[in-house]
Amino acid sequence: MEGTAVKNKKLHISHQNMRKVHGLVFMLPWLIGFILFFIKPLVNTIKYSFHEVGVADNGGMTLKYVGLNNFTNLFRAEVSSQSQTFARVFTDENIDIFMNTPVIVIFSLFCAILVNVKFKGRGLARVIFFLPIVLGLKVVVDLIMITSGGDVADAAVSNQFDTSLLINFLLNYTFLPVNVTLFISDLASNIFMLISQTGVQTLIFLAGLQSINQSLYEVARIEGANSYEVFWKITLPLLSNISLFALIYTFVDMFLQSSISTEIYYFAFNKNNIGVGSALSVVYLFNVLIDLVLLLFITNKVVKLNHGDK
Amino acid sequence: MATSDVKAVKRIDGYVLKDKLHKFVFGYLFYSLVIGLGFAIIYPLIKLLPIVFNNLEDLGNPDVIWVPIKYSTLSFQAAIRLVFGNFVPMLQSIGYSVIIAVIQIFVCAIAGYALGRVEFWGRNLLTFLVIISFVVPPQSLLISQYLSFKHFDVLGIISAFHGSTIDLINQPYTLYLIAFFGFGVKQSMFIFVFRQFFKGLPKELEEAAYIDGCGFYRTYFRVALPNAVPAIMTVAILAFVWNYGDTYYTGYFHPDGPYLSNKLMTTFSEANVQNILYAIKTWYAVPGATTFSFDAVKQAAAIIYLLPLLIIYFVVQKRIVENFEQSGIVG
Repeated sequence: MEGTAVKNKKLHISHQNMRKVHGLVFMLPWLIGFILFFIKPLVNTIKYSFHEVGVADNGGMTLKYVGLNNFTNLFRAEVSSQSQTFARVFTDENIDIFMNTPVIVIFSLFCAILVNVKFKGRGLARVIFFLPIVLGLKVVVDLIMITSGGDVADAAVSNQFDTSLLINFLLNYTFLPVNVTLFISDLASNIFMLISQTGVQTLIFLAGLQSINQSLYEVARIEGANSYEVFWKITLPLLSNISLFALIYTFVDMFLQSSISTEIYYFAFNKNNIGVGSALSVVYLFNVLIDLVLLLFITNKVVKLNHGDK
Repeated sequence: MATSDVKAVKRIDGYVLKDKLHKFVFGYLFYSLVIGLGFAIIYPLIKLLPIVFNNLEDLGNPDVIWVPIKYSTLSFQAAIRLVFGNFVPMLQSIGYSVIIAVIQIFVCAIAGYALGRVEFWGRNLLTFLVIISFVVPPQSLLISQYLSFKHFDVLGIISAFHGSTIDLINQPYTLYLIAFFGFGVKQSMFIFVFRQFFKGLPKELEEAAYIDGCGFYRTYFRVALPNAVPAIMTVAILAFVWNYGDTYYTGYFHPDGPYLSNKLMTTFSEANVQNILYAIKTWYAVPGATTFSFDAVKQAAAIIYLLPLLIIYFVVQKRIVENFEQSGIVG
């Protein structure tokens, strides 16, 4: 009896171990890809960024160690394809991303709440509100945009709303400072760019809204909470996880579309300056990671504050 | 008696009236919000219609904004002649996106299953690495990825057999290779979706399969995968759309491929404006064509390009939300 028990135990352990091996087999393609397409390029990029890369006689590459020269060159000497210094490019991109990310997330949350309400024509509204998944593709946005300038390309022809009315209204009838006014009008004129980025986030939020237990709302209504309180005390706390996901998704997406990626290509293949291009890549990579840590830090703070209130 | 009745009726009336007014005002505000936002979303599309159906020579005429004087389909004809040809490239593009999407689903599903269900060594570390590879933009690795593809070699094995390193750039199978090893368009996110889904799937199903004598792989393909339809659908839709619209991987790793997204971007790049204008002028005898006609042709091409996506979108849109909800990314 004891013998079989031990045998069973042994078998059991080996089965568990087999399972682990099978799991690793399932991970194998991704692991190989991770080493070949991620770790190796990452290490190489960092290596190139400290070297001057040239072409050898036999077609291979020659590396000459130059220390931090590539990085200092990048910020001191080199300019982007739009003839801007890179310090400027990076600050512009970062400000843009930090301004737009919350706007996109809040806007998509708003859209999701709207199409979650039961009303006549909700099906049609959903069709339209998720259209940015398709319309937001970079190719489509680029193709739909008007490229030709000219005198006639005013508000009537261009794809933008006329914002002068809005600016005048805000300046004359509200007491907002000029900066805020400009920010609002900027958002209004950029609204198509912003909207085109909201498709997936709206979907994420809507799925999140629908997964909230309806009885919570019933209880709140019986207890006499108004819809404002319901939103702040039930909907938003239960959506906090999804909001974080949507926030990170938006953030990464914005970085993917930033102009820096084209600059990298421009350096490497138009200017044949692989060293500086790699340095740019490294700075870009660190920029993304630092911003992300910052973002997580800020959201952590906000969430903690919310808990403190309760 | 009678007066009090009247009073009661009046009071009820007042309440009903207030309620109705309340509903009316809120309904009005609500609908104006929904309609306004909806309008803002499709405004770029609406704006296209008068332009693409306009007579090419009337474009830029300040008198013509919403209603063309003369309708014509010249811009569509030009777009078809320039890019789409006999629509074989479009079919190829669709086929390519479908194949890549299938590869991505397969690879991501097995990786997600392993991460979500199997407690192997270093699972948390691998999950963390997946998230890292999602967060790091692939563009930052472009240069060295490109170079390593140009002279592709794995630990000197390939050069030992083949004599030299292989050039993977511009090979038709390069993109499939990237997708198979898990680094295609936003593939880390798909792995994450599958991981979340399999994590939420009840364990009893698989345990029953084990008791009935299924091995690991059989359990996965017979039990786990068929139950993952919502996640598969979600990933399939997103993967198809994103691969169809991808210009990064197609543009850098297979620039001569028949991919529409890439072809559109190169055909309608700013350097090409004059060539296209010249072509339009000579083909269709419209000497008055301006850069506005270039835009019109470009936008007509965009509409044709969008058609398959829109059709698929309208077919599946009702199920998108429920699938996404069940796919477990929410939890």
